[in-house]
Amino acid sequence: MNKGVLVIARNNNNIDYVKQAVYLAKKVKKHLDLPTSIITDNIEYLNKSFDPEVFDHIISVGYESKTNTRSFYDGGLASKTDNFKNSSRSSVYDLTPYDETLLLDSDFVVNNNLFLNCFDSDQDLLLYKDSYDLSNNRNTKEFEFISDSGCDFYWATCVFFRKTETNKMFFDLIKHIQEEWNHYRRLYQIQSQLFRNDFAFSIAIHILNGFNKGNFAGQMPGKLTYITDQDILWNTKDETMTFLVAKKDYLGEYHAIAVKDMNVHVMNKFSLSRIIDQEMAVEQ
Amino acid sequence: MSNRGFLVLAQDSDSGDYIGQACLLAMSLKATNNLPISLVTNDDVPNNYVSLFDKIIPIPFGDDAVDKEWKIENRWKLFHASPYEETVVLDTDMLVLENIDSWWDFLSNYDVYYTSKVYDYRGNVADTTYYRKAFIENNLPNLFSGFHYFKKNDIAMNFYKELETVVKDYGKFYETVVPKSTPSFPSMDVCAAIAAINLDCVDNITNPFVKNPTFTHMKSYCQGWEDVTKSWLDKVGCYINTKCEIKIGNYSQSGILHYTENDFVNKTPVLERYKVLLNV
Repeated sequence: MNKGVLVIARNNNNIDYVKQAVYLAKKVKKHLDLPTSIITDNIEYLNKSFDPEVFDHIISVGYESKTNTRSFYDGGLASKTDNFKNSSRSSVYDLTPYDETLLLDSDFVVNNNLFLNCFDSDQDLLLYKDSYDLSNNRNTKEFEFISDSGCDFYWATCVFFRKTETNKMFFDLIKHIQEEWNHYRRLYQIQSQLFRNDFAFSIAIHILNGFNKGNFAGQMPGKLTYITDQDILWNTKDETMTFLVAKKDYLGEYHAIAVKDMNVHVMNKFSLSRIIDQEMAVEQ
Repeated sequence: MSNRGFLVLAQDSDSGDYIGQACLLAMSLKATNNLPISLVTNDDVPNNYVSLFDKIIPIPFGDDAVDKEWKIENRWKLFHASPYEETVVLDTDMLVLENIDSWWDFLSNYDVYYTSKVYDYRGNVADTTYYRKAFIENNLPNLFSGFHYFKKNDIAMNFYKELETVVKDYGKFYETVVPKSTPSFPSMDVCAAIAAINLDCVDNITNPFVKNPTFTHMKSYCQGWEDVTKSWLDKVGCYINTKCEIKIGNYSQSGILHYTENDFVNKTPVLERYKVLLNV
């Protein structure tokens, strides 16, 4: 069976997801020695600005006119509002060129080979349910349940899946939830109208678990470690990442922490972009 | 004497229609289990519901809870009232939603068994600290009398005699064993915990390593919510289909549901659903 990593990159006016995907593909090659394929609506930009050879397959999707809008923070004091093109994730089952796919967000930084364990798993679908906030001082309830009274939260950030009939059903269900989002968000007491893949994946798992806890989806290896967009990725050196994480109750103040050989979901896309620029400049 | 059966104590009061709740509980047992249920009460049972019960038994030794709102004072008498060799005692405000024959096999290893861990509607271990300050602050064993089991033997009788002693003189026991966050009434859970301490038998009547037997505890502050409403019925939807399968907040319920709110019977079609299902 062929296997690889899949990443979706659809730029908006402020965030260069394609650049993040290129960075991810290089990290994946280094630590997992796996090919990476990209799903994007901007092949021209990819070919013009980066080396497209870092990707195994370049999969084109149409420009998305229907968009979500949300705020993207760059630490506690700066933010921009922009489009959030997140509708492609439910299509990855149909789009992936692999029998075994590790789907990663473009803002996920791979620094070790932990994900190789996914491909040895007996389970055909793996997601993170457990996560760790590097600040260790925030209320993490929003990542435990999709709403105060809703079902368990699963991260759509990292998803391992094999091409099976059951997984096809899973992704078809996510498409249906996406199409009927207003119904499902009300059913699951989600106040925000913003469509979120995490929520759609969580609801689909909940349904396929028979509206209960269950093991339809297995757990990805380890925990998903993250910083939010209130924090800042400050520096990287080899596999060491230094962050400024927001102090509790002191807006705009941070304390520094460093992690080594750790995979981290860097939700502050602006600071990730700055780091990628620095690293790419060094490469050139 | 029958081998195994369920037992429930019900006395109507200003705070609720407990006979009605006991009848609903009996319907849920009829729908899912094949064992008899007996009702201990001095109150009248509606004629159309009498056949739900194996036996309707008067409260032994007279009613010690006259003029009391919660009618707790009679609960120690259930050991003496039970017509069964092995008895599971349930609170009236419960529904049994699945066959629990396998639980009986587990319980038969014990003389007395109390549930010590309960769950919320999402299947997580319920955080009961809001309601159980007396247990935490006084380091009491976390017993829930809402579901408990006993055999008719000397060991169990000894436990219930101790329980009787504690209930009848709860003020004195509270002074020494429950000096902090002391309840103002003879809480059955607290009294059972004191009896277990006095007899040094906590490990013999609980098992923290198993999930079942247990129940889903629907008190609001047990549900892991940030924004807690007084009644859980004001927070999440409750859906009951014609097979009497229940969903709470999109979670299918199984095992035993301790719905706790008297309004549950009036605000949902649960009673009507069971009446149609069982042709009562």
